[in-house]
Amino acid sequence: MTTPSRSSLSARSADHVVAAIPAAWLAVFFLAPLGFTVVFSFARSVFGGVELAFTFENYRTALTGFNGATFLRTIIFAVSASALCLAAAYPVAYFLARHTGRRRAIAVVLILVPYFSSFLIRIMALHMLMSRGGFAETVLNALYLHGGPLDVLDTQTAVFIGMVYAYLPIAIVPLFVVLDRIPKPLLEASRDLGASPLKTFVFVTLPLSRPGVATAVLLTVVPMLGEMVIPRLLGGSKGVLMGQAISSQFLQSQNYALGAAMAVLVLLAVGVMVVLLARLTKGFAEIGQ
Amino acid sequence: MTIFRTAPSARSGLSRRTLLTLLGAAPATAALSAALPGGFRARAADAQLNIYSWPDYFSADNLAAYAKKTGVTPNISTYDSNETLFAKLNSPAGAGFDLIIPSSSWIQQFAAKGLLQELDHSRLNLASFDQDLLNRDYDPGNKYSIPKDWGVLGVVYDPEAVGGEIKTWEDFFKAFEKPEVSGKIRLSDSGWETIGPQLWIEGKDWNTATSDEIRAAGEKVKALAKHVKSFSGLDPNAVANGSIVLAQTNQGTGRAIIGLNPKLKWVVPGPFSELWVDNYAIPKNAPNLDQAYDFLAYQLQPDVQLAETQYIGFPAALAGLEEKLPKDTKNADLIFGGKDLDFSKLTSFVVNPDTIGTYLQVQTEIQAAAG
Amino acid sequence: MSARGVMGARWGARGTHAALAIWYAAAVLFLFAPIFAAIVYSFNLGVVNKQTATITGWTLQWYPAAWNDLSLRRSVESSLIVAFWSALISVLVGAALGYAIVRHPLARARAVLAALTYILLIVPESVIGVSLLLFYAETGIPLSTATLVAGITPMAIAVVALIVRARVLTLERRVEEAAADLGSSRAKTLWFIVLPQLAPALAAGVIMAYTFSFDNLVVSAFLTTPQINTLPVYLYGSLQYGPSPAVYAAASVVFVFTLSMLGVAALIYRLARRPQSAD
Repeated sequence: MTTPSRSSLSARSADHVVAAIPAAWLAVFFLAPLGFTVVFSFARSVFGGVELAFTFENYRTALTGFNGATFLRTIIFAVSASALCLAAAYPVAYFLARHTGRRRAIAVVLILVPYFSSFLIRIMALHMLMSRGGFAETVLNALYLHGGPLDVLDTQTAVFIGMVYAYLPIAIVPLFVVLDRIPKPLLEASRDLGASPLKTFVFVTLPLSRPGVATAVLLTVVPMLGEMVIPRLLGGSKGVLMGQAISSQFLQSQNYALGAAMAVLVLLAVGVMVVLLARLTKGFAEIGQ
Repeated sequence: MTIFRTAPSARSGLSRRTLLTLLGAAPATAALSAALPGGFRARAADAQLNIYSWPDYFSADNLAAYAKKTGVTPNISTYDSNETLFAKLNSPAGAGFDLIIPSSSWIQQFAAKGLLQELDHSRLNLASFDQDLLNRDYDPGNKYSIPKDWGVLGVVYDPEAVGGEIKTWEDFFKAFEKPEVSGKIRLSDSGWETIGPQLWIEGKDWNTATSDEIRAAGEKVKALAKHVKSFSGLDPNAVANGSIVLAQTNQGTGRAIIGLNPKLKWVVPGPFSELWVDNYAIPKNAPNLDQAYDFLAYQLQPDVQLAETQYIGFPAALAGLEEKLPKDTKNADLIFGGKDLDFSKLTSFVVNPDTIGTYLQVQTEIQAAAG
Repeated sequence: MSARGVMGARWGARGTHAALAIWYAAAVLFLFAPIFAAIVYSFNLGVVNKQTATITGWTLQWYPAAWNDLSLRRSVESSLIVAFWSALISVLVGAALGYAIVRHPLARARAVLAALTYILLIVPESVIGVSLLLFYAETGIPLSTATLVAGITPMAIAVVALIVRARVLTLERRVEEAAADLGSSRAKTLWFIVLPQLAPALAAGVIMAYTFSFDNLVVSAFLTTPQINTLPVYLYGSLQYGPSPAVYAAASVVFVFTLSMLGVAALIYRLARRPQSAD
């Protein structure tokens, strides 16, 4: 194995340039503004502004009573919606990577094409499809899967359907990219050694797809934690989630300090999730070396 | 141990490259062609007008006629709430707007923060205005704002499901527990519109109620929250087809619903209900002041006001507007909140920094309790 | 293995294939249904200028109506421009980030960059929006298309970086080392050896960045100006009073337009490739 010490000076400079570009861009357009939020989370709030201070009062408010319950409910909700989404996405990604042969490009494009139309419009249309007297009701009645009017709108079920709908392609892409890279000979070897397809899947494919799973979880859980449009359009704005709570602190109550503290808490929660997911892919990164 | 092959096979490489080309080219082409009309857009020398408004809130024909007459095409950006408007104006992003449409509830906050300039009444002609809508509590003397259009908080319901007539907010809340109604109710997503009615029942004023009183009234509404189906924007269809049988809403949506299903009823319950007014106002440092007044003068002409009313479905503040509408206008009385709307029984909410937090917090809790 | 076992395995494989194919088809149907619905509803008459779930009559009036609504039209233009620049910047910066996370020679640099990427993804958008607004206020930078693009890129960069990272993890380092041993400079290796292998991930990244940017609502809502107003901001605002069918017409046009651009690009690519594929 090569060690970094062997690389020449020019080799290093190329690597440094590659790393410096994103670091510089993000420092200016992301970290600097984010600094304000962290500072604000310790400040005292006045209507439509803050007074700089160092107090943990905002965190206490954010973690107790109603706000604390909202925080917990949001995490449970996002994790289960993400799990549901992944369960739906994995077979699709597997099919794309293993079963599409020469038509693969078209098959992948078909999954991504819906993304070229506006997200809000798609959710608005989903709302109409699921409404009473809508298309979904007609189809379910015709298939004898459901009798009479369909009242799924403004329920948790509708929100979950919307979440899976909105984030399915986001979950499929990283899974597909990784599954696609698992070499066929490896799977053939497993079969030649007498493993059933199921065993090959469980002991070879699934473990090797861990980076894709971790990426897919991250890419879906985080936006779900802050999702506001789907609960509003499909769930009747019931059972408030953190995303709504934070934005209402910032916009409606004009309580920037409390909103900032809630945001920092969400940040910490996802930080914990990231550490867990990093564990999941750790062994894999070492194989890559 | 090496377990991965490295070079991608030629065939899959090609298909991937196809994909890359496809995906890369489309946005580029799209953006390019999108940039073109911008380049061709005619711009009158220097004259400009930047309006910040709700979406789809001006008659397209009126705007086109104004552009034709003056050579200035108003630039309209859109927001989704007064809160967004406030946050925006309270920041550098608010610079550059000449005309905004804040609601009555927020005017005082905008003025207190120094975000609005006092209007020059010598440049405005309010002679044709409905006096009921001028000089209201939220802006005495119309110092900062003049009404664009208005609405009331009312209730649309199915008399069969409710089993009778709704006349007061007490009747409204009592209907929640009926089996035909429970789970088919829509409440507003605004704290003062859900808690306000309970305060009125208790004989209190929503603008002077203390935080404790607001919370106490809110707890009563919260106890009923389990019957509520939705707090989101109301789809007229959902009420017309019976998914929702009892709904708080404004008269514009009410009219759309009754247009779809004439068996339903609209009422503005007593003892009090809300009058909200969306207003024209001019930000403190509006760069094109003359243009803003010119546009206002145009908008305030009676025939333009009439066309605006017909387009947006909410009444402009023009005196005798109802008689001026074409005779064949369907459910015309509903545009004005129903036949016998009593302005003395309407009150406008004014955001107060001391209590607004309570309204919002309790509303959030009510919505959470419904889930 | 007995002949019967082999037969069974083959049937099993066929069954698996069929089940997966059905699942895939259902997913595609599910993803497309609302788009078709949006197109159908763009021809719906609606009630008092508002969209309704039941078809109240058929009309073509919403297409000219959408075109004549200047603020709607301008919002579509702005969204396309913003999404284009954001996707371009994000794929460049994001690819560099995704690669450096895995391959930077210093472990500490890798750790810092990885942490940065995750932080990008976990900060709620409303916080980024407010933070950016405050940031621009304090620094006195005037808002423009550029500030909006810059504000949207961090999230898109993170998405691209994660996709590229997952790909780089599966690439073998030895190839890069072999190239170095053969005298290729690091920069050349990156360009000629690494970049082509990243192509599928970059393609996926461009799409994700483009759609993330085109659909961005929260950050855009904070950073729009009188000159720049995006489609999602317009749509979200219209939910308050009920959207007009005209917005469905506008969205349908954007979708069909983008799709035909994809189609044209595919056609040009195919024509350009024909002489080559003869050999």
